Amino acid sequence: MTRGGDQPGPRDAAEVDLDFFILDSGPTVEPLYTPDSLRSRGIDPERDIGVPAAYPYTRGIDKTPPRAHQPLIKFYTGHAGPEETNDRYRKLVGWGVEQIQMATDLPSQIGFDPDHLMATGEVGRAGVSIASLADMEVAFEGIPLNQLSRVGMLFNCDGPVGLALFVALGEKQGLRVEDYIVDLQNDPLKEYVARGTQFLPIRSALRLACDVVEWCARKAPHWYPLDVCVNHLNAAGAGSTYGTAFALSNAEAYIEELLSRGLTIDEFAPMLMMFLDERDDFFSAVANIRATRRIWADLMKHRYRATDPRSMALQITAYGHGRETRREPLNNIARIAFGTLAYYLGGVQTLYDASFDEVLSVPSDDAARVSVRIQQIIRQEHGFGLTVDPLGGSYFVESLTTDLERGIRKALAEVEEMGGAISAIENGHMRRVIGEGAVRRQKRFEAGLRPMVGVDRNVDNNEGAIAIPLNRVDPAVEERQKERLRQVRAGRDGAHVRKSLAAVLEAARAGSNVVDPCIDAVRAYATVGEICDVFREAFGEWQPSTEF
Amino acid sequence: MPGPIRVLIAKVGLDGHDVGARVVARGLVDEGMEVIYTGLRRTPEQISAAAEQEDVQVVGVSILSGAHLVLLPRVREALNERGLEQVMLVAGGIIPDSDIPTLEASGIDAIFHPGTPVPEIAAAIKKRIGLTHDIDRTDRNHRNDREERSR
Repeated sequence: MTRGGDQPGPRDAAEVDLDFFILDSGPTVEPLYTPDSLRSRGIDPERDIGVPAAYPYTRGIDKTPPRAHQPLIKFYTGHAGPEETNDRYRKLVGWGVEQIQMATDLPSQIGFDPDHLMATGEVGRAGVSIASLADMEVAFEGIPLNQLSRVGMLFNCDGPVGLALFVALGEKQGLRVEDYIVDLQNDPLKEYVARGTQFLPIRSALRLACDVVEWCARKAPHWYPLDVCVNHLNAAGAGSTYGTAFALSNAEAYIEELLSRGLTIDEFAPMLMMFLDERDDFFSAVANIRATRRIWADLMKHRYRATDPRSMALQITAYGHGRETRREPLNNIARIAFGTLAYYLGGVQTLYDASFDEVLSVPSDDAARVSVRIQQIIRQEHGFGLTVDPLGGSYFVESLTTDLERGIRKALAEVEEMGGAISAIENGHMRRVIGEGAVRRQKRFEAGLRPMVGVDRNVDNNEGAIAIPLNRVDPAVEERQKERLRQVRAGRDGAHVRKSLAAVLEAARAGSNVVDPCIDAVRAYATVGEICDVFREAFGEWQPSTEF
Repeated sequence: MPGPIRVLIAKVGLDGHDVGARVVARGLVDEGMEVIYTGLRRTPEQISAAAEQEDVQVVGVSILSGAHLVLLPRVREALNERGLEQVMLVAGGIIPDSDIPTLEASGIDAIFHPGTPVPEIAAAIKKRIGLTHDIDRTDRNHRNDREERSR
């Protein structure tokens, strides 16, 4: 094995290390796929592949090709204060972005106001600081929510607050919920094993997430209240096969909670999305999407007895990534473009992509624009979007789709045998698989089995020739946000705030839906931290684990 | 013979990405070190208290949230306030090269980027500790108790 050099020496096929052909997603790629590959896997083209927009949805949920029905160009961003973020949003809209997914800072996601001790140094980092409706008003100044195809944020562990912020902002802008579309990530379960913004006991978090879905089912059925995420599970180390299985088990936990509230599957399943992710290998990304659609359709039809085809047709979002490197960061443009193209060809509904400088800092304007352009190039140049599922029917892609489907189903069955997602989180199964996967990946990387051009191959020893300007967050933002918070608290109707927070507490304790009381509290300019403190009071707090 | 090097791996602030921290923690165990992990979301004060209580020679802080210029110097200060000036403080995460001089001037001894092979981190620690640490630790029972707890 050659490392660090330019080229491995000449060697015959028998000498090539077979480890190179083992995908991060599990299967080993064969040198040739033929009709026999399909036969040996028992693939029945009519039953298993079918046609687009029909069960089992392997080939996608749309009848028309992407050229006629493009996946939305989504952008995940937000940094510093709402002013800086508004500036970025206006530019994004100008460049052609159709969905803005707000990146908020960690204090906002974990329910700490900017003046909380735990928020020290974190305000406006990794996302925009959103402490109250006042910050939302600034962030979306001059951008009516109905001017975008969709708008949303993560708020995985404080989903009802995120939903309330958008409802109240819409009201401020003179809009009704019918006029715009909100897309929330609102997927707390994966936070406990992979992303880390959990702050409540897990069952309480599950319940709050389902309050959001239930509210939307009744009052805004055209919204997307929950994106069940593979992304963070995979990135943390699970790999896309286990990550998809864990996400599906999380989806089952949400679905079972919602069914237990008396909703029917067809009342809410069409609103659910999955955030799929496979960034190590192009064809695995395509096959993972196709396999997951097939599994979802089967689950909906046979386990949950859905009858509405929209429940069975899984809507997918994805984040185009490569394995971006710090060295020679412009190379990341190529990596991101390949990752994004895989999702486009796999047939997703909304698509965003990373920025080439993201591994270094919050993306700069220039890098953000390149990300938008990557999607626009895929959409319009070449013929990527001229036909539905252009890779469907490939012996390789169909074989890999089936191989991945089997791996995902097996890993899902393991979780189901343990009693489902919450058991697999609480008994350490998910965390163990993720931890082992992260170690396995690191070892493969260290062994040079997943080459990184410019890092462990084709290394330029004059590294640093291209300097990337870093996008800095001004430390003054933290003080500015604390000052706005003081003004908000001084200027609001204290009695209304107290009454509305008491109503949130009462709903939380009574087990009734907290969304309407949260909307009222947000309207009164109660802060994210204050509402989350009510949740803490009602439910208690999550405690971190020191296992590794 | 000095005992194994004791390391506290810590997550400071609100950043919840602890895969890297846990990979490094396991890797350092493979390198023969004793490792304690704080779990997520610790303040600099909590980290320095744990470092004192666990009698470590090295504190490794993982941070990916971008708050490193604020939080890492505070960890150093909190360690120093407890008289732990000699404790090696290393950091890993998304830290721009241009911040490294500032952090080094604040008493952060080494900074590792994502993807750094664990043996490289271990070598840096061993080199530094080998130079400064030659205390023969005889308090075996005391340490064994801690090993139990850290598992």
